[in-house]
Amino acid sequence: MISRRNFLTTVALGTASAAALAACGQSAPAQTGSAENPVTINYTWWGNDDRAERTRKAIALFESKNPDIKVNGNFTDFAGYWQKRATEAAGGGLPDVMQWDLSYLRDYGQRNQLMDLGALKIDTSGLEKSLLPSGQIRGKTYGIPTSTNAFAVYYDPAKLKSLGVAEPDGNWTYDEYKTWLKEVGAKGNGTLFGSTDFTGIWWQFNIWLRQKNIEAFTEDGKLGFNKDDLKTWWNMASDLRGTPAIVSEERVTQLAPKSPFGSNVTVAENTWDNFMAGYLADSGAKELKVVPVPSDDPDNLGLFLKPSMLMVASAKTKFKDASARFIDFMINDPEVGQIFKTSRGVPASKKQRDGTTFEGTDKVVVDYEKSIEKYLKDAPEPPIVGFGTLEASFKRIGSDLNYGKLTVDSAADAWFKEAEDLIKQNA
Amino acid sequence: MTTMATPTKPAAEAPAPVYNPKSESAGAKRAKSVIFHIVALALTAVVLYPALWMVASSFKPNAEIGGTNTSLWSNNFSFDNFVTAMDGIGGVSTLQFFTNSLVLAVGAVVGTILSASVSAYAFARIKFPGRSMFFGMMIATLLLPFHVVIIPQYIIFQQLGLVDTYVPLLIGKFLAADAFFVFLMVQFMRNLPAELDEAARIDGAGHVRIFGSIMLPLMKPALISTSIFSFIWSWNDFLGPLLYLNTPEKYPLPLALRLFVDQTQSSDYGAMIAMSVLALLPVLVFFLVFQRYIVEGVSTQGLKG
Repeated sequence: MISRRNFLTTVALGTASAAALAACGQSAPAQTGSAENPVTINYTWWGNDDRAERTRKAIALFESKNPDIKVNGNFTDFAGYWQKRATEAAGGGLPDVMQWDLSYLRDYGQRNQLMDLGALKIDTSGLEKSLLPSGQIRGKTYGIPTSTNAFAVYYDPAKLKSLGVAEPDGNWTYDEYKTWLKEVGAKGNGTLFGSTDFTGIWWQFNIWLRQKNIEAFTEDGKLGFNKDDLKTWWNMASDLRGTPAIVSEERVTQLAPKSPFGSNVTVAENTWDNFMAGYLADSGAKELKVVPVPSDDPDNLGLFLKPSMLMVASAKTKFKDASARFIDFMINDPEVGQIFKTSRGVPASKKQRDGTTFEGTDKVVVDYEKSIEKYLKDAPEPPIVGFGTLEASFKRIGSDLNYGKLTVDSAADAWFKEAEDLIKQNA
Repeated sequence: MTTMATPTKPAAEAPAPVYNPKSESAGAKRAKSVIFHIVALALTAVVLYPALWMVASSFKPNAEIGGTNTSLWSNNFSFDNFVTAMDGIGGVSTLQFFTNSLVLAVGAVVGTILSASVSAYAFARIKFPGRSMFFGMMIATLLLPFHVVIIPQYIIFQQLGLVDTYVPLLIGKFLAADAFFVFLMVQFMRNLPAELDEAARIDGAGHVRIFGSIMLPLMKPALISTSIFSFIWSWNDFLGPLLYLNTPEKYPLPLALRLFVDQTQSSDYGAMIAMSVLALLPVLVFFLVFQRYIVEGVSTQGLKG
């Protein structure tokens, strides 16, 4: 029998040699594969079972076109996805190619976890020039958008008809928009409301700033607007809060996790145009329509295309060439467009978009983005580190405002304090 | 149990003997009993309502779940959700997820029982240098939040090339890393009379024999509760499999469940709830089969000497 001390030494040695063996296995990689001896890259994405099925088809297609590469697919839900990535990044084991979200791009890019894709052979000629900056940080391309979203006002035509309210044409000022919400609320009889408090939505605020030619964040990662801007914005809905034009915060909380719009409680909602499928599924409505957001300057709607998701590669991948080919395929291949339709958003690459046939609700979204083409301006740079926290606190403080727990002034003070603290922390 | 009732119990609480002149009439007794049962049933209904809601919702179409729909009953009753749930996700069948969960849960139960009972025996019955220090260290690991060790642990398993296997999820169970169970068993063993071991030692039994022939059979209640808890914990574990498994074919149920609800796309609440109902069944069965042993265990524990 071995003594306890010997046993410990044995275990320690065993662990060390196993680690060494594992390291050996990693240090002699095959950079490129052949049909007989393909290389395997890992690809990971978030999404539901529908996306898993579509991605599986896309991977199968890629493998049949590229017999020298095998793709190992891996998927989780959105929340779990970022927990897993954070752990992997700490352990140095990020997958080769990943689906990515804009709000995490700066964080991982700045920490050198992502590869500069500009140096790889990926065709981006089919992408809108205004879109590319959203994947770039200080001249390096960390992410390439697969698809785009644009901000919009959703409404349910059937409900408007039942109330006898005219459908909007999307050519409206904030006053006209508010009058419309009031009319819906007045005729809704306590069961149907206009919308959620639009001033509590960060992106709606951001777009309003752009309409006034203010950037939300400066290039060096500071706030580009001041407290008075924010007060003006939150005051815009002061006369609507507590009236049926805006659904009460109590009701919103009761309905969670469904949105009031998805629960058939409101007639309109302001959000990204890729929520169409989700709203249709939640509400059971036959048809939903989208129109541009209101603007007091008819020539500047403040709209832009936002990448609904990007493709990125791990900085540590050993299969640069294979990863680049896979990213190029997912972004540009028309057959991939046919597989995903608009479930990832509207395809960003013209090659892919033109090769895809859109029908029904897919067509509504694609047509909307086409209709606003002339108003589009450059997409903002990737949001600052910790943007997710800021967006969440904007929503939280906005709902406190709607609850009546805060005044506009104290709400603006509260948000600015949180924002400034966070920016200081990450500076 | 009744034979074990201690004589010090106040008479008022003991079953009223028939000859007691102060005893209530049969009618009043019945009324009391009826009221008691109504209250108990009402409380049960409150407690069971969420489960009832879940089962009822699993038969409803997606648009009728949550939001403004508060009624349990739907006129569009269907099994569609179960069909979707059983379809699997991304080419992996739901049965596969069940099998994986079962492998992990059974592995966790076996590993925990084996390792925790042996370690507990050492702590409770063997005197070795530093015993109380090691025991203290083990208890200290209970105070360490899981989130603190996630990243170091991940790095170790990643360096060993064990990510995407079940090893990181099970090895701790086989090495008695669940201090809670070890502690539970140590406390249980300390309550067993030491005279039993001494008698066995006089008869020439070594530690192995004492552990196998005396301790294990007496520890049945502790083993059963450990099994139940480790089964349920493993069955419900989300974070461990999320971090360590990369191949969808190896996913257990909790990972698969999340894939029906995706706030960035569309959510199929119906399918998720249907799958939750299915996922609950094994746990329920496991509990129903073993719970009577817990009750039995508690009652036999009273029979000392």
